[in-house]
Amino acid sequence: MTLLLLLLLQSPHARLEGRVPPAALPGLDSLIEQAVAESLPTEPLVQKALEGGAKGIPVPRLVNGVRHGLVQLRDARAIVSRATPARASLDGDVAAVAAALARGLDPALIERLLSAAPPPEPAPGEPPGPVLHAAADLVAHGFPADSAAELLRAAQQQGLHGTRLLDVAVAASHELQREGGRTPVEALARVRAMLPNVPVAAPPHPRTVTRRAGRGS
Amino acid sequence: MTVIDPRLQEALDGERDPAALPAELREAYARLTAAAALLRDPPATSVADRVMAEIRREAPARRPANWLLRPVTFRLRPVWTLAVAAAVAAVVFLPFRESATPGAEEGVAQFVGHFPGARSVEVVGSFNDWQRGALALRDEDHDGIWHGAVVLPAGQHEYMFVVDGERWVADPLAGRYVDDGFGAGQQNALLIVRP
Repeated sequence: MTLLLLLLLQSPHARLEGRVPPAALPGLDSLIEQAVAESLPTEPLVQKALEGGAKGIPVPRLVNGVRHGLVQLRDARAIVSRATPARASLDGDVAAVAAALARGLDPALIERLLSAAPPPEPAPGEPPGPVLHAAADLVAHGFPADSAAELLRAAQQQGLHGTRLLDVAVAASHELQREGGRTPVEALARVRAMLPNVPVAAPPHPRTVTRRAGRGS
Repeated sequence: MTVIDPRLQEALDGERDPAALPAELREAYARLTAAAALLRDPPATSVADRVMAEIRREAPARRPANWLLRPVTFRLRPVWTLAVAAAVAAVVFLPFRESATPGAEEGVAQFVGHFPGARSVEVVGSFNDWQRGALALRDEDHDGIWHGAVVLPAGQHEYMFVVDGERWVADPLAGRYVDDGFGAGQQNALLIVRP
């Protein structure tokens, strides 16, 4: 109980104090208060401020970076509200959509992906993060946004959900890089034909040996 | 109140020889001096001591168990109480776990970077509140390939490598990147941890 109380008492201001330049604190406090007043999640803003402090970003750019984060959260909530009007927007959903916006995903595409809830998946309440990241991965690899959304929707209809959707994006990029070359349209068609049996993506760094990690190690 | 005989009083005060008292006063004198002696010298073991000794007496075999079960009272200043609570909270609640075995909602994040000649490489990111010094990579064979792995909560994490304590580098092998939003076009690496 004491621990819980202690954590609850740790305000964003307390977390930022000593981690960002003192001159940035009033501006950051104000932005976080705005987020609270608008019922937006504050953790992404706190993280952005901590990141700026750690990187030694000058105060004006640091505050602007957090302000930009607040704008993205507002946009994200608007997208979530339009896409899923029947349910209240969750902080996690808003943060995931804001992250997708930060990755450069088109707002209209995000809205389409969120509103598309083909049976039987995603299950109600399934976090939108994986499907948005999968779409962002596909777009980043040069696939047309509309085709990427269609492929992901097809994958969902075939029962893939959560991080398995990331495997769809990985499979598509592998098809694109296959020797002999495939066009994006051919690669997407090939992956669509595989569904739902796309291979599980291998860990990105197979050389690494897992070890026990320690704070400050 | 009974008035004491002046001769008896003088004898008790040491001003008269008790042997010179009349017989009835000598008897009273003897009773009073005996009573005074009892009051002056308390018994070696009081009733209270004997009762407490009985209460404390325990079978030898039960003593260790009772020691473990016996309530202990600590007296701490409030500032120390908060410090202890903060330390316990840090151990229990921080997402960084000193374990290579992930839980149901966790996964192993692996980091590899090629930094020949670097003296140190660490990973700083949203999973450790962008705190420096939390996750150092290792290069045991000095081939310039630094690596490390850590258990993290499933989900999205942004991070950077910090080389030699001053150079911030986005992981070239991350595959996913996101603009850091500070206006200089710098990108953070993006990691998605699978449960």
